[in-house]
Amino acid sequence: MGAVTAQLNSEHEAKAWLTRTARLGGPAARRAGLWVLMDGAAAIGFAAGLAFGVDAIAERKGPGALAVWLGLVLAASALRGGLSLLAASAGAQAARETKQAARSDLVAALFTGPRRPVGAAATALVEGIEALDGFFARFLPARLAAAALPLLLIAVAAVASPISAAILLGAMIPFIAAMALAGTLAAAESRAQFRALERLSGLFLDRVRALPVVLAFEAERTTTAALSRAARDLAERTIRVLRAAFLSSAALEFFAALSVALVAVYCGFNLLRLLPFPVPEQLDLKRAFFVLALAPEVYAPMRRLAAAYHDRQAAQAAAASLSTFVPPAPKAADAPLAGAPTIVFEGVTARYPDTDAPAVDGFTLTARAGTITALVGASGAGKSTLLNLLLDLAPLTGGRILADGRPCTDLSREVAWAGQSPLILPASIADNIALSRPDASRAEIAAAARAVGLTLDRPGGLDFVLDERGGGLSGGERRRLSLARALLKPAPILLLDEPTANLDAAAEAELLSAIREAAKGRTTLVATHSEAVAALADQVVRL
Amino acid sequence: MSPLDILIREQKRVHAGNLRLAIVSAIGVAVASTALLGLSGWFIVASAVAGAAGVAAAQAFNVLLPSATIRLLAIVRTAARYGERLTGHAAALRALAAIRPALFASLAAAPPAEALALSRGEASARLVQDVDAVETRFVRLSAPWNAAAGLACALVLAALAGWAPALAIAVFAGAALLAARALARRYSAPARTEVQARVGALKDTAAALVAASAELRAYGLAGWAGETLNAKAAALDAARLDAARAQALVQASQAAILGAAVAAAIACAAPAGAPLAALAGLAAGMGIEALAGLALAFDQDGAADAAHARLNEILRHAPRAAGSASPPARLTVLGVTLERGQRLAVLGPSGCGKTTVIETLLGLRGQASPAPRSAFAWLPQDAALIAGSVRDNLRLAAPKATDDQLWAVLEDACLAERVRAAPEGLDAWLGDDGERLSGGERRRLALARAYLRDAPWLLLDEPTEGLDPTTEAQVVERLRRRLDRTGQGLLLVSHRPAPATICATRITLGAPPEAAPNPVRAPKMQAATAD
Repeated sequence: MGAVTAQLNSEHEAKAWLTRTARLGGPAARRAGLWVLMDGAAAIGFAAGLAFGVDAIAERKGPGALAVWLGLVLAASALRGGLSLLAASAGAQAARETKQAARSDLVAALFTGPRRPVGAAATALVEGIEALDGFFARFLPARLAAAALPLLLIAVAAVASPISAAILLGAMIPFIAAMALAGTLAAAESRAQFRALERLSGLFLDRVRALPVVLAFEAERTTTAALSRAARDLAERTIRVLRAAFLSSAALEFFAALSVALVAVYCGFNLLRLLPFPVPEQLDLKRAFFVLALAPEVYAPMRRLAAAYHDRQAAQAAAASLSTFVPPAPKAADAPLAGAPTIVFEGVTARYPDTDAPAVDGFTLTARAGTITALVGASGAGKSTLLNLLLDLAPLTGGRILADGRPCTDLSREVAWAGQSPLILPASIADNIALSRPDASRAEIAAAARAVGLTLDRPGGLDFVLDERGGGLSGGERRRLSLARALLKPAPILLLDEPTANLDAAAEAELLSAIREAAKGRTTLVATHSEAVAALADQVVRL
Repeated sequence: MSPLDILIREQKRVHAGNLRLAIVSAIGVAVASTALLGLSGWFIVASAVAGAAGVAAAQAFNVLLPSATIRLLAIVRTAARYGERLTGHAAALRALAAIRPALFASLAAAPPAEALALSRGEASARLVQDVDAVETRFVRLSAPWNAAAGLACALVLAALAGWAPALAIAVFAGAALLAARALARRYSAPARTEVQARVGALKDTAAALVAASAELRAYGLAGWAGETLNAKAAALDAARLDAARAQALVQASQAAILGAAVAAAIACAAPAGAPLAALAGLAAGMGIEALAGLALAFDQDGAADAAHARLNEILRHAPRAAGSASPPARLTVLGVTLERGQRLAVLGPSGCGKTTVIETLLGLRGQASPAPRSAFAWLPQDAALIAGSVRDNLRLAAPKATDDQLWAVLEDACLAERVRAAPEGLDAWLGDDGERLSGGERRRLALARAYLRDAPWLLLDEPTEGLDPTTEAQVVERLRRRLDRTGQGLLLVSHRPAPATICATRITLGAPPEAAPNPVRAPKMQAATAD
């Protein structure tokens, strides 16, 4: 029961998020709607051209009149082509604007809010945002057209033949009922289907990632067989969903075709004056043909909407996860520190959302000004979380953190940071170091590199350009680069996250002096499971 | 014929019944749609002419046949459309359910260097997007039939009014197809290729920046990171806009040509009288509209061709039969020959090629291994796990293992207590790559998995990394007892001294200089002691 409520809540939230996001779109969304509506006017022109053209032949009005009306047919269809181009263009533009706005919010939430798993964040940023494309580019304009155009066209048809218009309107009722039924019937099942599809792609990707293990354990056959089973299951389930979906679209099609047929038969009998019941109108060819040509157009917008339904489905599924990324409220900046502070953790608890246990529970520590404190423990013990707390990357759910006796929330302006896999840009080594202080002079950069022992014996020295993957640097050199960055920023606090992980003893020993250099005059916290690094510290805390 | 084509043809054969039904239905849809509107137009105009000619003519006009036919056509069209969509999609989905595992099998059979070089992003592009592009090949299989039937029906109806309107429709249909094809080649194909490339680039950047959150935060680079990402995303957005415009351009060309075809058909059929002119005009409209499916296929073909080429790259490798070679009695590693049951520790700094030694033995490195994979049970350095439960992960090593056997290896890997503590026990879900476990727990689970495999040699790469000294000692002690019991040989690679203590033979590999471009070098023997 609780799970169901939670699911309904999250669905409600996803819809609310989509509605909010739709408001972020610019004028392109309105333009797309306008072009779509104008297409209705062009459809009327097309039907009129046809009707009067055929009438001109029937009444032998001569080639001049025929040419005029066929010219209208030509112009109206060229206009429709142009309008559909404009509408698609504006729709895509609207999707682009909305996606950009949603993406900016997401990026803000990612880079200023609590830390998220890399996979989930990257998926939200790329697949999640891209899943919104069809919703804004196609579904929303289609929904507007479906809401406005049918009634508009029926009203125009009523001018020519009120009874035909009444037939079209009458057929709309079962049509809309079928559509609503289709929506509710297929929606629940297809949501489940959508999630199952995501799980299946996840499963395939996971086994590709674990391919070395699969190969080494000679589990290719069993894995392939398991994947086949999962894929077949999903296919059968999808087919069941589609059966319901297609049945409902068949209903739409049926009522559309039926109303065209009814209009045709009614008009024919009216023209023949053979109707078995009295009618208040007497049609002529022009009117009858006009109504007949217009009839399929009445239902086309709703059929296009039904076809765009899966765009909404995809967007809602994505919104469910995107709505969980909320940009944090801006916090008042802590007053700047005068020098290396004494940092105190008082009963600090940090618990990430959606986890069973807190990553850090009731942790207490005093790191005196200007000293090195080593946090030692196995991975998962919460070392990195403690460092992340100082950068506001982890949620502080209990206790407080004091810097020089003042409670603080976000010390990131006071922090220099170095870790095991630093960010490497496709730029020169100097530019990479200067990331921590873009206004640093060339001499300062070189000094920082020298201080951490980043020897630059490759062509160009500091100007050596690294590639996107950081190629050209060894593991040890990356750590040094990271330390040089930390050295360049004149911050009173230094945080080091596993600075020597995956390095051998010799490389680690060489790095220790660089760490000592970087820690001079700062309050340093280092998370490590290396005893050699811990030996540098004035204080060692085991977690 | 490419491997993908062979695979697709095989699936087409398997699902021939459904596909034929889809084609027949598609033909029914096209004929019924074209005839419905054409006949309706004719009926109205003919009624008007008869009505105008007086009561006698109206009475003589046969209304029953056309009006009944019109209603029949409406029903036929609905049923046929339902049949086409359901059977077409069913065949496509079942075919894909066979093609995806086949791709995985080929990937597994590819030379490891090639398969393992595939990044997660690329793998997703292949197995998800590229295969989706194949789906259209099944779903749209009926599109040419639908187009041909619609067009043929339109031509027949128009021919009732003379050869001229029929010819006009044929000419405009040709123009519509040529225009769609030319526009799709000129605009859609490059735009769609660009979209795929941009998606990949954005993914890479997003992953790199999110991983560096701490650094970004400390150096006040959040804004810069956002701009960097938004700039990459803007390039993708621009490509998407181009692709949408290209598709719209194709559709707009079809709409304009449709109008021209209708006008031309009516003009050419005018001499035959109003009813037949109406018939020809409406038939022309429906005939050209039947081509829409084909035009859409042209629009998507650019991406599909590229996807096919990439899938063929993978499918080149036919899955091999399971190896039956028996494991060799002795193993020579780095010049040391080990008899069954002997233990060798390879020590040395990271980056000196220790892991390479193991991966070469397993045949994951390109060079042929001296022994079949069945000779080895492996704990990889990254302790990679599959998404699934504890049981799923262990069973990878022995699909038929009983729960007792699973608990026994968990016990030996010092993880049984932890697994027992979880309410779901062996069925506890571990998430992607064991993300619900700590680093040390992951490693011990991967160790238990290696223990479960019945192989003469254990290959353990850093088995105690991330463990605290107490657990490390316990793991090493249980490993020693286990080896004494099973008589398995051991090749252990570590930069920590503790696990090496149970090995009689130790080799230390030399450290390469820091900036060596390729860390895999000829091993330098420094000591080979036997006590």
